[in-house]
Amino acid sequence: MLRYSQERFVGIMLTALGLIVAAIYISLSYGVFDLTFAEVVKTLFSQGNGEYDVLIYQFRLPRIVIAGLVGAGLGVAGAVLQGVSRNGLADPGILGINAGAGLAIVVFMFFYQGKLAGSDWFSILAMPFFGLIGGLAASILVYLLSWKNGRLDSQRFLLTGIALGSGFAALSLYITLKMDPTDFHTATVWSVGSLFHANWQYSISILPWFLFLLPIIFWKAHILDLFQLEESSVKSLGVSVGREQVILLLCSTGLVSACVSVSGSIGFVGLIVPHLAKSLTGIRHQQMIPLCAMLGMLLVIVADFIAKNIFAPAEVATGTIISLIGVPYFIYLLFRSKA
Amino acid sequence: MHVKRYFPYMILLAAPALILLMAALSILYGVKEIDMMTIRNAIFQFDPTNVDHQIIMSSRLPRAMGTMLIGCALAVSGALMQGITRNYLASPGIMGISDGSILAVTLSMILLPEASDLQRIIFSFAGSALGAGIVFGLGSILPNGLSPVRLAILGTIIGTFLSSFASALAIYFQISQDIGFWYHARLHQLQPEQVRLAIPFVIVGMLAALRIARSVTVLSLGEEVAVSLGQRTTVVKVLAAAAVMLLTGSAVALAGKIAFVGLIIPHIVRFLVGADYKWVIPCSGVLGAIFLALSDIVSRFLNYPFETPVGVITSLIGVPFFLYLARKKGGNKYA
Repeated sequence: MLRYSQERFVGIMLTALGLIVAAIYISLSYGVFDLTFAEVVKTLFSQGNGEYDVLIYQFRLPRIVIAGLVGAGLGVAGAVLQGVSRNGLADPGILGINAGAGLAIVVFMFFYQGKLAGSDWFSILAMPFFGLIGGLAASILVYLLSWKNGRLDSQRFLLTGIALGSGFAALSLYITLKMDPTDFHTATVWSVGSLFHANWQYSISILPWFLFLLPIIFWKAHILDLFQLEESSVKSLGVSVGREQVILLLCSTGLVSACVSVSGSIGFVGLIVPHLAKSLTGIRHQQMIPLCAMLGMLLVIVADFIAKNIFAPAEVATGTIISLIGVPYFIYLLFRSKA
Repeated sequence: MHVKRYFPYMILLAAPALILLMAALSILYGVKEIDMMTIRNAIFQFDPTNVDHQIIMSSRLPRAMGTMLIGCALAVSGALMQGITRNYLASPGIMGISDGSILAVTLSMILLPEASDLQRIIFSFAGSALGAGIVFGLGSILPNGLSPVRLAILGTIIGTFLSSFASALAIYFQISQDIGFWYHARLHQLQPEQVRLAIPFVIVGMLAALRIARSVTVLSLGEEVAVSLGQRTTVVKVLAAAAVMLLTGSAVALAGKIAFVGLIIPHIVRFLVGADYKWVIPCSGVLGAIFLALSDIVSRFLNYPFETPVGVITSLIGVPFFLYLARKKGGNKYA
C-alpha cells in the first residue's frame, strides 16, 4: 500500500513537473512577439548572443521565475496555515498576513519615494525584509489574539485575521493617498497582485527566504499530520504543540511576506492549492506540501500568462486572474465541506 | 433592563439637538477659519459674492448633511442585516455590498463617462444589489452558510473578488487614481446636488426599515418562531433586502466604502436599548449619523491641514471592536 502510494506520488510530481515545463515554454515563446521553438532553445543555450536575448532574459524569464517562486511559496504557506489552524479556509490573505506585509512595504515605499525604480541593492533587498517584519507582526498579533484557554481557537483565528487585515488595509490606504501620483500608481498596481515589475533582482532578493524556510517546513511537515489529531493525543505523543505551531507559523509567514514584497497581495493561491494537492495525494503532509509547491508554481505561471496575454497589449493583474479561477473553486469547496 | 426602557426615548429626544450640534461643529471646523456669525449669515442671508458664504453653502453644509445621511443609512442597513440573518457580523462593509457597488460605479465611469449623478446612484444601487445578492444567495444555499464565520469569509472572498475586478478595470482604463479618490471615502468631495439626490432614496429606505421593524424583531428570534407566529418571512426579507440596497447603495454612491459603521453601531445600540428593532432601527440611525460626523471631524485634524479618508478613522475604531466581538462571540457555539 505504502509502495503504491509512493509510486503514485512520484507519478503525480512528474506530471506536475511536465506541466510546469510546458507552461514555461508556452510563456517564453508566446506573447506580443511570438518565437519559434528553435528560437527559444537557441536563445536559452546561446549564452547571451542570440537576437532575442533581451526579450527572453530581461522580460519573459524573470517574470516566469518570480511567478514560479511566488506560487510555490504561497501554496506551501497556505498548506501550513491550514494545517496549523486545522481550518480548510485559512489562507494568508484571509488571515491578514498579506495585508500586514503590504502595510510594511507601503510604509517603505513611502519613505523611499521616487527611488523605487532605482536598481540600488539596498532598496531591493530591503523590500522583502520590511515585508517580513510586517507579515510577522501581523501573524503574531493574530496568533496572540486568537489564543483561548491555552490553545489556538480556529474560528477566532480566522475572524481576528479578517479584522486585522481590514485594519492594515485602511492604514495602507492612508499612506498611499499621501503618495505622489506615480508612486500611488505603482502601489495600486502592486497591491492588486501583479508581476509586471518582475526582474532578476527581485528573484534574487526573495531566494534566500525560500532556501532557508522551505527546508524547515519540509522537515517539519510530519508534525502537521499530528496536528490533525485531538490536541490531547498530540501532547501525549510528546510534541510541544505551542512551540511547533509558532515555528511553522513563522516559516509560512516568512514565505508569504517575501512573496508579497515582490508580487503584491496575490490571493487564493494559498487557499485552493492545498485542497487540490490533498485531493491528489491524500492528507499526508510530507507528500502534500512538496506537491503544493509544484501546483502553486503551475497555477501562478499559467495565471500570469493569461494576465499578460488576454487583453494584450494592456495587462490585467495576475491576482485578478487567480481570483477569477479561485472564487468558483472556493465556493465549490464550501459546498462540499461539512457545516 | 429597567433603565433600558428609557434609553430609546432619551436617544430619540436628544437626537435633534445632537444632530444640530454635530452639524454646527462640522461646519465650524475646517482648514479655513470661519466664525459663527458668518455661518449664521450664510444660512439665513446668503450673499453669493462672499467667499466664506460660498464655502459654507457649497462645501461645508452639504458635507455635514451628507456625512450624517451616510452614517444613518449605513447603521440602519447594518441593523437590518444583523436582525434578519441573526448574524452578529453582518454589515454593509463586510458583506461585499460596498464592493459590488464600487464595481458598478467603476463600470459606469468607464462605459458612461458623462453619466449624471442620478445615473451614478442608480448604478451604485444595482451594484450593491449584485454584491448582496451573490453573498446572501450563496450563503443561503450553502450548508450552514449564514453562520457568522461562514458568511464573513464568503463576504470577504466575494468582496475581494468584486473589488479586485473593479481595480483591474480601473488599471486597464487608467482611471485608478480617480476611482481611488472617489471610492475611498473622501467626504469633502460631497457635491450638494448628489446629497440632494440621495436624500429621497435614504428616506424611502428608512421608512421601509421602520415599517418592517416589528417583523424584524420577530424574525430575529428565529425563522421557526416567526413562521409559527404567522409571519410571511419571505415578504419581510425581500423588503429588508430592498431597504438595505437603497440605504447602502446611496451611502456608497455618495462617499464610497466606509467600513465598520454598519457593523458596530447596531451592537452599541442593542447594548443600550435592547433587542427590540422598533427601537434599534431609529436609534441606530441617530447614533450612526453622530458617529460618522464625529469621525469626519476627527479626520480633518489627524493630519492637519490635509484630510484623512474617514474610512481610516472608522477602521481604527472598528477593528478593536470587531476583535472584541470575535473574542466574546467567536467561539464554536456561534459558528
